[in-house]
This record gives sequence, structure tokens and C-alpha cells, in this order.
Amino acid sequence: MADYLLVESQGGWLGPGTEAFLRDAVSVAERGDRVWLLLIENGVTGALPGHWPELATLTGLGTCVWVDGYSLEERGFDPAVVAGAVTVVDMDTVAGKLLEPGVRVVWH
Amino acid sequence: MPIARVDLMLAAMGAPHLSSQTTSLLRLAGASLARGAEIRIWTCGYATMLTAESLGASKPRNVLDWGGSYPSTPSLARELLATYPGSVSWLACRFCSDERGATPQIPEVRLETPMRFGTHMAAAGKTIFFGVV
Repeated sequence: MADYLLVESQGGWLGPGTEAFLRDAVSVAERGDRVWLLLIENGVTGALPGHWPELATLTGLGTCVWVDGYSLEERGFDPAVVAGAVTVVDMDTVAGKLLEPGVRVVWH
Repeated sequence: MPIARVDLMLAAMGAPHLSSQTTSLLRLAGASLARGAEIRIWTCGYATMLTAESLGASKPRNVLDWGGSYPSTPSLARELLATYPGSVSWLACRFCSDERGATPQIPEVRLETPMRFGTHMAAAGKTIFFGVV
């Protein structure tokens, strides 16, 4: 079992790449690897209610879905409005996970 | 010349202002350094312009904040390097810098041949790419 930190920085309006990345995250979680999905920059819009159904699938598979608080604030979003199953984090938390030995990181 | 091992290499590729990737890179670099990591930043493509000396110390005046002063990206790079001496290095691809007129670079940044990019990656525990060249 491997650990993955997958980072999505783009909004869904930029094309199929974001959907494909989320599908990959689901595939990785489904095969039993541990996944932390970080939504950052425009990717935080995916955490708004009703946007990315893949997030519910991921949390159902045990994935930790993180949303960057700085990106939310920069875009004028109240952290309270993001979907309930996600966790608002800061960059120190991200760095801690990223630097853990054995954690594989992909930044999309 | 042997290359020192680092915990993390952050490779900024391509247009640095197409998205917020530069902000994220600097935030991640700072957070990683604050946790004691040793890191290397490598810029390629138009990201090499981040540390071009021609940008000066501050950005052009903000018409909505006439009396304010905002640091340029070279200033932000300098601040990072000065805050964590010995723990962070900043390299700019020589070929990309030359091709885009992003020279001279600020003296704190070392120009490196792209032929050694793979060697630098091999000397890093992890490498993360931001953007596309």
C-alpha cells in the first residue's frame, strides 16, 4: 500500500484534465492506496457544494480531502461553505504530508 | 562538481503568472523550509524571468495604492534565500534564460545548464513540477 498526495490546482472549467485527474485519484483509492487530495488555487472551487461528485466518492473510500484555506480566502469564499467532508488546511500541513518519507506527490 | 542532496526540489516550468503557481511554489518552499527541509528551486522556460535582474526590487506602482510598495519576484526570491541561508538554493536554466532574455539574473541565483537537470533531480528526495514548459 502506497501513500499519495494528489494536488489539483485547476478549476473544472479548464477542460477534461481535471476530471481525469480526479478519476485517477478514485482509481488509486479504489485499489487500496491511501490518498490525500489537496484542492488549491482554482481547484478549491471543486469543494463548493454540488461541484465535483468525485469528492464524495473519494471520502467514501477513506480519502482525506483537503482544501487550501489561503486559496479560499483569496477567492472570497467563506470556508464554512465548502462541502462538509473536506478539511481546510494551511501550507504547513501540506508541507508536513509532502515531506513524509514514502509519500508520492503529483501536482496537477 | 558534486551536487548536494536535498529533501525537495521544486521545478517551476513555463509561464509563471498564468495561474497562481508561483504563489503556491513560494508558499510551499517557505513552509517546507520552516519545517527544516533543505530544498532546491529550479526555474525553466518563462519561469526564469521570475529572478531577472531587470525587474528591480519592487513592482510598478499600484494606481489603487499609490503610496504602497510591492516586492518584485526577485525580491521575494532574495527574501527566501536570506531567511534560510544554506537550506535553499535557486537555480535558473541557462538555456531558457538566454533564449528569453532573462539575463542577467540576480546574483543570488545560479545559472545552470539544462544538461544537469536530471542530476539535480536525482539528488533530491522528491521533485515536484509546477506548470508546463
